[in-house]
Amino acid sequence: MSWDPFRLSLQVTAVATIWLFLVGLGLALLLARRRFPGQTLLETAINLPLVLPPSVVGYYLLLALGRGSPLVEWSGVSLLFTWMAASIASAVVGLPLMVQAARAAIAGVDPALENAARTLGSSELAVLWRVTLPLARRGILAGLILGSARALGEFGATLMVAGNIPGRTQTLPLAIYDAVQSREYSTANQMVLVMTALAFLSLWGARRVERPSQRPKPQQHGGAGR
Amino acid sequence: MSLTRLRIDIEKRLDTFHLQARLEVGTEILVLFGPSGAGKTQTLSAIAGLMTPDAGEIMLDDKLFFRKRRTGPAVNLPARKRRVGFVFQHYALFPHLTALENVAYALWRKPNAHQRAMELLERMHLTHVARHYPHEMSGGQQQRVAIARVLAAQPEVLLLDEPFSALDLSMRERLQQELRILQAELGLVAICVTHNLDDAFAIGHRLAVMREGQVTQVGPIESVFRRPASPKVLEILGIRNVFHARVVARTPAGLFLDWEGLRLEAPLQPISVGERVTAYIRPEDVKVLYPNRPVTSAVSHNQVDGKVVGKQPHSNFQTLRVALPNGHEVEVRFPTYTYTPLSLTPGEEIRLSLRKEGLVILHPSSSPH
Repeated sequence: MSWDPFRLSLQVTAVATIWLFLVGLGLALLLARRRFPGQTLLETAINLPLVLPPSVVGYYLLLALGRGSPLVEWSGVSLLFTWMAASIASAVVGLPLMVQAARAAIAGVDPALENAARTLGSSELAVLWRVTLPLARRGILAGLILGSARALGEFGATLMVAGNIPGRTQTLPLAIYDAVQSREYSTANQMVLVMTALAFLSLWGARRVERPSQRPKPQQHGGAGR
Repeated sequence: MSLTRLRIDIEKRLDTFHLQARLEVGTEILVLFGPSGAGKTQTLSAIAGLMTPDAGEIMLDDKLFFRKRRTGPAVNLPARKRRVGFVFQHYALFPHLTALENVAYALWRKPNAHQRAMELLERMHLTHVARHYPHEMSGGQQQRVAIARVLAAQPEVLLLDEPFSALDLSMRERLQQELRILQAELGLVAICVTHNLDDAFAIGHRLAVMREGQVTQVGPIESVFRRPASPKVLEILGIRNVFHARVVARTPAGLFLDWEGLRLEAPLQPISVGERVTAYIRPEDVKVLYPNRPVTSAVSHNQVDGKVVGKQPHSNFQTLRVALPNGHEVEVRFPTYTYTPLSLTPGEEIRLSLRKEGLVILHPSSSPH
């Protein structure tokens, strides 16, 4: 068994997590704190990968990243069939999980706390950094873990945009498919076990982060914050 | 009133009502009083820069907070630059920070932040909870941390939204005293929202009565009570025993009123005979007379027979409802320890005196016709 799929999966997921954090947090903030026309449309679009077949998501990404797309024309970089394309596909599929959790956490921060920070001299950026994000950190972290776990397990869209090139774009899920196709069941078994363990740990971790079990939250006086 | 420092003249249309607040505040504590939904908190939010009015102007000394007129450029200074300290109704302490960190919030990246915050905690007698989180503190402690946190930002204006609502009586009195001292010491322009009259009397220099988005009367507290601008103000202040009467005679000794058959004597004031007036007598100024004792001069006027129809004990006083011969009822309020020899149970016939000095007549021009 080769270690390449593990290394690639780690690499792709790590970069996808960075995308998730930056793009997902930005979208969550926008959706939680602003009212604008087309908001529901944007939300629905973000959630589409939850219900679309991975091949459809992959097809859209092919259009966006392939030759002839305005993005490629403008930047002059084509990412198709690289591990970077795999990380983008993974991030897109993990995005709804991240945005939903982070958005709920940010919306749950009492606006009076943010207002208090403003009257105490904080700029909007400082309010975000010192009040909103610290108070929403559990939900944001839980969303990030769930999104990354989903990114780690990405198969279909990745296959469409990055292919299945051993040593270059073949992540764990693709390697498992290949192993089964060529009847290398012991290799498949090992990789399946690793994937299951990782998925289990992620879900369990996300739950723990959201609701820590040892320290039950004490009652709040005065009803401020949570 | 001292020199005006903060001027507010704003307008805002909200879903349910129209806020049109006009106020002038000096270095003092102005109590903003009124029923819930009168626009008190909205007014504070506008001053702090947390709510943007549709039009008007807010100015502190010569610093323009907000201006939006039909002509001329609009100005809206962000909340962080106004130096307006806001103590929120539920304190709004940062739950992820300790008491000390909450107080030090405004001192971010400033030298000696820790020491300054500690001094403020000491000032509010809170050093023992410095490392506690808000949920580990009592309501009174949270309230004082909130005040210390605001003071750390060295505000020029202090806004307090229902600061006493969640405190017990002894806590309340201590905090009122502390706030008065702080306000005087730091020369703050302070506005305190409350709907409790005892709190208003305890903390306020002046009273502004708000109703349905408008400031209906402003003045020293005693004078607002002595001369309520309108029957509506009477209602908002929760004044009992309000009645309508006609001035029937005027002598050097006093003014004589006719309240649907009941003749009452009131202190002399420039109101002409024949006018219809709104008047009230505080329940404390209605006295029960002992049947077999000589009547002192203070209660010799306005004696009237009545029948007890209800009795309500309170913590340290009691109230009676007494039916008068003219068909109306008055409320009588007295300390629990008085009148113990008398049986004041419902159905009992008693004699009352409506103290002449306690009869307050609103100026006729302000009563409805």
